[in-house]
Amino acid sequence: MFLKFFYACKSKGLNISLGEWLDLQNALDQGLCESSLTQFYYVARMLLVKTETEYDKFDMAFEECFKGVKPEFEVGKTMLSWLDKPEMAKLLHEEEKYWLNQVEEIHVDKDDVEEKFKQRLKDQDSEHNGGSYWIGTMGKTQFGNMGGNVGGVRVGGTTGYQSAFSVVGARKYRDFRDDKVIDNRQFQLALRRLRQFSTKLDIPKTELDINATIDKTCNNGGYLQIEMQKPRKNAVKLLLLMDSGGTMIPYTKLLNELFQSVHKSNHYKEVKTYYFHNCIYSKLYKTPECENGDWIDTEWLFRNTDRDYKVIIVGDAAMAPEELYSETGNYRGPNGGLSGYQWLQLVKKNYKNIVWMNPKMAPGRAPWREAETAVKELLPMYKLTVAGLNEAMTKLMSNK
Amino acid sequence: MENTFNSTQDYVASKELLASVNVAIALQKPLLIKGEPGTGKTMLAQAVANSLGKKLIIWNIKSTTKAQDGLYMYDTIQRLYDGQFGEEGVDDIARYIKLGKLGEAFESDEQVVLLIDEIDKADLEFPNDLLWELDQMEFYIHETKKTVKAKHRPIVIITSNAEKELPDAFLRRCIFHFIDFPNEELMEEIVRTHYPNVEENLMKNAMKVFYDIRSIRDIRKKPSTSELIDWINALQIGGISADTLRQNLPFLGVVVKKDEDLETVRQEIHY
Repeated sequence: MFLKFFYACKSKGLNISLGEWLDLQNALDQGLCESSLTQFYYVARMLLVKTETEYDKFDMAFEECFKGVKPEFEVGKTMLSWLDKPEMAKLLHEEEKYWLNQVEEIHVDKDDVEEKFKQRLKDQDSEHNGGSYWIGTMGKTQFGNMGGNVGGVRVGGTTGYQSAFSVVGARKYRDFRDDKVIDNRQFQLALRRLRQFSTKLDIPKTELDINATIDKTCNNGGYLQIEMQKPRKNAVKLLLLMDSGGTMIPYTKLLNELFQSVHKSNHYKEVKTYYFHNCIYSKLYKTPECENGDWIDTEWLFRNTDRDYKVIIVGDAAMAPEELYSETGNYRGPNGGLSGYQWLQLVKKNYKNIVWMNPKMAPGRAPWREAETAVKELLPMYKLTVAGLNEAMTKLMSNK
Repeated sequence: MENTFNSTQDYVASKELLASVNVAIALQKPLLIKGEPGTGKTMLAQAVANSLGKKLIIWNIKSTTKAQDGLYMYDTIQRLYDGQFGEEGVDDIARYIKLGKLGEAFESDEQVVLLIDEIDKADLEFPNDLLWELDQMEFYIHETKKTVKAKHRPIVIITSNAEKELPDAFLRRCIFHFIDFPNEELMEEIVRTHYPNVEENLMKNAMKVFYDIRSIRDIRKKPSTSELIDWINALQIGGISADTLRQNLPFLGVVVKKDEDLETVRQEIHY
């Protein structure tokens, strides 16, 4: 059942397994959806979607399947107040509802109803209760509320139950999408992926392995037999290079948070942070102000850090082509006879794992942003979002 | 259905939440609850247990918790001591096997509600280590070569603060519900279940200020339901007049927990 919906979810990027789909079928079989679209929406969501970041994708798939388009007409406030007439409900009897329905066209076609609704919305200028043409309460047209027409458009009034589409239409889970730009806490969580416990590394066994000691001693008939193990410490060393050029100013807060997250997650063996202006040249600055003199030689850094440092470069790679390709320096100071591009190549040569995080990356190849495309080809570039950072961290931890 | 969960006297649940609890019970799957801190994730389990008249077993997860801890512990040290002092019954390993919370829930003679609280606190691999146990509701004790199988499948409720991503394989086996922050209507109902006699005016003003604080954009830690409840309690006890609430913002520390936020709130909320 609802196979079309299954594929719609898939096409929106929801990774639904067969098991989960069968669970939904099972729920339908057991009547847990209570023949209500809204209930079906909730049950399907709780079974198919396992994180609030994907609620939005689900909403979109649901909307696509169970409703063609969102109505684009708007209902004015005045009209809604004309329609807010709970007292009129008392006047209505079931039989009346029946004959009310006989009057206007029984043939209900959704597009047709919408079209007429829009037209009448435009023409109407007063309150109507019980009429047969205008939008109002108690009427027999297809518009308004508390009316008897079965295939009409409901306008305003109170409802005890939020309909699935008004929930879907609100798209209130948009903020949870994980391609949204992130905050400090989420940064820290993403950075936690950078873990490599040194038990895997080749270092001496210096810690008492209590469990193994106990096991061995027990097996030894109670005579003490000590077992040692390698200490579990994070062996990851991190090098953070941040662009603090003019085009990065809108992202100051974001960079600040990333910087703080790195320093709060104090479980790295070592963290070094340096700044650059637009592109990496012969000098790296010690402070984000990038003042001349307050710097170190990029080559010094190469010499004094080993290849195992994980390098995160943060920048928007938005620069003029000459900033990337000119060998004669720019207004920021010397480039040491190499172009920015060549410096980046050196960085790539010096470290095993490098990622470039870009807060405003263009999707795919972007010919209108020449520098970004060139950098992207040289270094793996990710957008600075939760999803992007997670991907980048995985990349940093892989050996390729 | 005989096992149906409804809002209780002291726990107000939204329709969606009720639906997910009942679907989880019907499909016999663990229910994973996420949401902002203070939206009543942990209290849900208590409410479910109360409403269904079942016993609640709580397994609190800490950063050092291992999956094994929930199943059973083999007290080797005790056995070692007993062995050295020639205690009776050292041969019987079963004497040194102590069941964990999960084991306790399985062994129980009647169906229980098992709360696995804050599962994201543990190691990344933790949920994966429980896949089989939660699926089959059984585990094997190597030392005694015995299988502990659930006599009655417990109703499992798992909470998470979204500190860590949970593994996909684990998620696939769960029913997921994200507790939305309650809207004003529901919030009023929630507060009233805690303090039925709160004065109308005080309630209205406090709620207004509370939602205003939540809507300040650069606030670091948004106050949650439990903080509003505490605040209203403090205001009642302090006998604060509702009219001066916004000017003075009394007991603000109950609502806002960070220094920099206190500053922001005072600036933004004052007229």
